[in-house]
Amino acid sequence: MLDAFEIINTSGVVLWSRSYAAVSPSVVNNFISDVFIEEKSTVAGAKDGASAATNPPYKHDQHSLRWTFNKELGIIFVAVYRSLLHLPWIDKLVDNIKAIFLSLYGDQLKKPNTTIIECIKFDEYFEQQLQELEQGSSKSDTRAYIDEATSEDPGDDPPLPPALVTNQTSRDKSSAEASPVATPNVSRPSTPSASHLLVAKPGPGGKMSRRARKIQNTNSAPPSSGDEGPGRKGKPAKAAKRGRKWDADGLADETDDVQLDYSIPSGGEVDAGGRPGAVEEVDSSTWGARTKGKFVLRDLGDEVHSILADADAKKNAETKTEGSSGLVGSSLSAIGGLFRNVVGGKTLTKQDLEKAMKGMEEHLLKKNVAREAAVRLCEGVEKELVGVKTGNFESINARIQKAMEASLTKMLTPTSSLDLLREIDAITAPSATSLRKARPYVMSIVGVNGVGKSTNLSKICFFLLQNQYKVLIAAGDTFRSGAVEQLAVHVRNLKELTAREGGQVELYQKGYGKDAAAVAKDAVAFAAQEGFDVVLIDTAGRRHNDQRLMSSLEKFAKFAQPDKILMVGEALVGTDSVAQARNFNAAFGSGRSLDGFIISKCDTVGDMVGTLVSIVHATNVPVLFVGVGQHYSDLRNFSVKWAVEKLLSST
Amino acid sequence: MTALDTFKAAFEASLTPSPTVITIGLAIVIFLPILLHLLFSATTPYTTLPSVLLIGPSGAGKTALLTLFERGPLYTPDAPPSADKPSVPTPVAKTHTSQAPSTVELAISTDKKTTTNDTNAASYRTDLDAAGATAKKFLLVDTPGHPKLRRHALSHLASASPTIKPSSISATSSETHKSKLKALVFVADAAALADADSGALASTAEYLYEVLLALQRRFHGRGGSRAPASVPVLVAANKLDLFTALPAALVKSQLEAELGRIRKARSKGLLTTGEGDGDEVGAGAGGEEGDGWLGAYGTEKFSFKEMMEFDIEVEVIGGNVLGEGPGADKWWNWIGERV
Repeated sequence: MLDAFEIINTSGVVLWSRSYAAVSPSVVNNFISDVFIEEKSTVAGAKDGASAATNPPYKHDQHSLRWTFNKELGIIFVAVYRSLLHLPWIDKLVDNIKAIFLSLYGDQLKKPNTTIIECIKFDEYFEQQLQELEQGSSKSDTRAYIDEATSEDPGDDPPLPPALVTNQTSRDKSSAEASPVATPNVSRPSTPSASHLLVAKPGPGGKMSRRARKIQNTNSAPPSSGDEGPGRKGKPAKAAKRGRKWDADGLADETDDVQLDYSIPSGGEVDAGGRPGAVEEVDSSTWGARTKGKFVLRDLGDEVHSILADADAKKNAETKTEGSSGLVGSSLSAIGGLFRNVVGGKTLTKQDLEKAMKGMEEHLLKKNVAREAAVRLCEGVEKELVGVKTGNFESINARIQKAMEASLTKMLTPTSSLDLLREIDAITAPSATSLRKARPYVMSIVGVNGVGKSTNLSKICFFLLQNQYKVLIAAGDTFRSGAVEQLAVHVRNLKELTAREGGQVELYQKGYGKDAAAVAKDAVAFAAQEGFDVVLIDTAGRRHNDQRLMSSLEKFAKFAQPDKILMVGEALVGTDSVAQARNFNAAFGSGRSLDGFIISKCDTVGDMVGTLVSIVHATNVPVLFVGVGQHYSDLRNFSVKWAVEKLLSST
Repeated sequence: MTALDTFKAAFEASLTPSPTVITIGLAIVIFLPILLHLLFSATTPYTTLPSVLLIGPSGAGKTALLTLFERGPLYTPDAPPSADKPSVPTPVAKTHTSQAPSTVELAISTDKKTTTNDTNAASYRTDLDAAGATAKKFLLVDTPGHPKLRRHALSHLASASPTIKPSSISATSSETHKSKLKALVFVADAAALADADSGALASTAEYLYEVLLALQRRFHGRGGSRAPASVPVLVAANKLDLFTALPAALVKSQLEAELGRIRKARSKGLLTTGEGDGDEVGAGAGGEEGDGWLGAYGTEKFSFKEMMEFDIEVEVIGGNVLGEGPGADKWWNWIGERV
């Protein structure tokens, strides 16, 4: 069943909520930060007006979330339910609730400077929708349940000709009564009203209810009866009929259905898709009128249906008018558009943006941003801007520039703090109250051949030595000739350079041909024994699309247990940077990914720093350092502002 | 013919330097600007209100505090909801992670407890309309605390005269009037700070460091002789209703110690791209000695008192939004004094 339904605005205030089971707030918090802020999922982002069916469900722990978003008012509608359950009507519920809520409280939502929305009465509307949609599904469940009951009834194996229908039913009934498993309650099939499961549970027929539940879970698409095959028109009327029958305890009529179902018990999934909703739209008024005790609901139901119909009509009208604007109207609006383009205050449409976005995309490509990243960035900005009014004396280009700056900044800004020294301190000298034991901080560096892994490793080492750490460098490149010697030279230089300042550095090496993961593990053990603060592990360069070489990284991550895995990427590389970053990010097995990037050779590209954007875009992993020269001191912290400025500068 | 004559006569009269013409002319010259001013000032919806900025890390309780202050006077636990006044079912709305800043307009009593000795006189719960007290209105601005969205808050602080563009919930209606930033409330989670391994202390202090540094830079970067209006900072140690929460004094000392550590680490850290090196385009002003150093340069231990040098008053007060405890009245009073 549904666990919770919440209506949240973008400032984080819950406008309305209803919960049926305890759901930790962290579920929704994670959903917001993953989908909306960090845009982790592939199709994430603020898509306006998309229905809940097209938005991919978000899964967290044991919960699934279906959601939809209204950009204009900044409101998110979320339904939370257990992932185990399959609720075919949940999309419909979310969409309907959105339509109802917006039409009822749209005026209140537009008020500035307040977060209060008076929507206590909304409970009733929600209940009505929920019940209606659940009934839609439980109706089909009932049918499936009856199917099963009859088909599994012992002793009635041979299918009977239609002529014997009535006899068959009575026998069915009697056998059901006689059998010890079945409930003594004759009106068993009449139980499913709104709460099918709840009613079935208390009876002695526990087995039945379990079976029914199983059907509900596994058999999401209700096996439909044969007579519905020819045309859908028949459905609503029949559904309404059934509703009345259940109250009247008439089994005789239902036998028709039962029998027809019976004829095709297994292959009955003929017209399942979208059925519950379709039933509801048409017959609910009669349903409400004829069902006992549902009179209150009917009034609300009517209102709700008119609201939903309105919303639908509005949507249709919008699509129609878009196509049918006359010649005069279009030319007038074109002139007005030109004027507003200069003065501002223009509501942006997709057509307005198209050309300017193309220009922006070109600009990004010129800055060495990979095409994939550029296209997705531009799409994101376009979606954000459609329907937005430009400010006074603001041209479209200026507005796009602003939006692009904001979205680049948001993307490049890391989610967590990246202060390396503080992290090292926390590991090597934990505070007295914490339960952790002091151990060396392990950092490893990976990357493609020749991007500057060893060089950047020694730059980081120099930086650490200046801060008086005791550093051990492990030569994990046991493959390329000269790699160990190269590190030995670096260590010798660093020793000389920092001897005065009190840093200590040693090389840990086991020669060539050994397993790199084992060497790294030994190095960490050695460092812990000798009291080193930091272990820096160099690795062999590997081509990112060579599965054989990449697979050894998983073992490496498991053996050495690095606190930080940094990947070195060249600023020179173009489109391939996306694939590099992705493959390396995925190479450490599930549960481990890259912790940061070092972008080397930034001094060689001027302001074409698009590689930064490409790799961060591909992996959501932040950039830690930037290499800007040949000296040990030419390592810089990454500044988002600097990068955005360079990317958007037009020279 | 006659029409032309009368026109001619009138034209002539208007150019003759007679006292009537001069008075009329003077009246137009003097009153037209005044009229225009009145006209335009009437069309803008509000006079500029002072504003108070709520910042802090994610999950500290900023939005909850905002809704508490907003709903305080509306929430009546016992009385039945009346038709003319909006009422709310709970004193605090449930909240989730914010994505966008939000603004509410609040009114605070300016009478210094003149009405009664009752402590509730200065509470945010008091319905000022009913009490008949003179009220001062201000805007309370909530900002998202997620690290990716902090630019919303920090961009306000960078400029020399911090102004805030109140954004209503709907993004389309863009009101362009600005209001003056009067105070800053930094909400911290006192319960999370107590947990040494969670890293909450580090991240909270880091954000506070950014904020204080931005305020300090603002002080340095003032143009001319006029110092920018000072922005006092309140560190609101929230969630004191929880058993594990640190008391306000401890929150203060822990934050000071952590800020000192950050300051030290920053001074030893690497340069940032675009800063300091001459061949870079964005080098700008470079950095004078101690530009990136928070507080008095060269001191060993950091304390909030050092910020007084830059006209930044920092105070730590405990309280809680939810549950039993000291409540949020002290924060409200603090805001009242500053606004």
